[in-house]
Amino acid sequence: MPRTRKVALVSGGSRGLGAALVAGFLQRSYGVATMSRATTKFIANTKGDRRNGKHFYWTALDGRDHEALRSFVGEVADRFGRIDVLVNNAGLATEGVLPTMRPHDIVDVVEVNLTAALVLSQVCSRVMLRQGSGCIINISSINAIRGHPGVAVYSATKAALDGMTRSLARELGPRNIRVNSVAPGYFESDMVKNMPEEQKQRIARRTPLGRLARIEDVANAVHFLASDQASFITGQTLVVDGGITC
Amino acid sequence: MLMTLTPERLQSVIHDKIRAILKERSGEDRPFSGSDKLSATLGLSSLDLAFLVADLEAEFGVDPFAKLVSITSIRSVDDLERAYRTAFFPETSTTLQDDGLASATDRAKVRRARRERK
Repeated sequence: MPRTRKVALVSGGSRGLGAALVAGFLQRSYGVATMSRATTKFIANTKGDRRNGKHFYWTALDGRDHEALRSFVGEVADRFGRIDVLVNNAGLATEGVLPTMRPHDIVDVVEVNLTAALVLSQVCSRVMLRQGSGCIINISSINAIRGHPGVAVYSATKAALDGMTRSLARELGPRNIRVNSVAPGYFESDMVKNMPEEQKQRIARRTPLGRLARIEDVANAVHFLASDQASFITGQTLVVDGGITC
Repeated sequence: MLMTLTPERLQSVIHDKIRAILKERSGEDRPFSGSDKLSATLGLSSLDLAFLVADLEAEFGVDPFAKLVSITSIRSVDDLERAYRTAFFPETSTTLQDDGLASATDRAKVRRARRERK
């Protein structure tokens, strides 16, 4: 592979938004690495793709295993020679009011949504420091901005990602590394697939643009922030919610 | 690389990396000594130090600040070199961790004595 090809590392790229991001980066001629706990049809198809398969790297990995995350970043840097974009996309959603939530569910959500993102950002930022450029995008949520019952832990992790975004943007900006968040509203994904149809319609009615987001709406925002068109944007949270929080 | 690494080679690589950063900043070679403070004397920022550690990790495959030594104990060029010696030549190095612990203990004693005097 020519070392000039840009490289994106997307956590949790086996399905949903992560898969859309992987596909979008490949379409934009990036080398792409991702990991997830298990393989999916999307991963198998992408690995076997005649055009893109050789530019794609996937490994099975649990986001709670921090040493494995560190090794994975090392493998990606060795394999592709660089890391230009990190998208901290992997996430767990757990619902239920905090007083009755199982303690290990709280720990799992924090480990996957926040600690894994910190570890990946730390290790990837070292590669980016040496390159003198890079871009980190954290997938946040409108739950980081507005309170909703039943998602206190999830909201806490997403708000923490936004805080990390702003601090890290200041830390790494002098070395030409940009850090931003994308905060999606409700979009058609596995996370809302069990939501009653009536509730989805109610959300659509309250959204100025009159619908839930499509995965592409969110992926497009991420690809924009990763692109040179966003070269003077850092430390920001881009809300992609059809206006529901405005 | 690891097979042929000697203390002299280690020092040479670390000094070269520091020299390169200083040159990048000022555009000219700047002499320095082991006792020079990385921040106070040479003007390196915490981000410069992070870059240096990342660069040395790529060179040596080791990051002594992950577990062995606290980055906050690094003040001078010699401190930095000693941290890598701790990783590669533990039998010949005095550990910064112990130095840091000892000075922290001393500071705690002074604070305690002050409180007791009040």
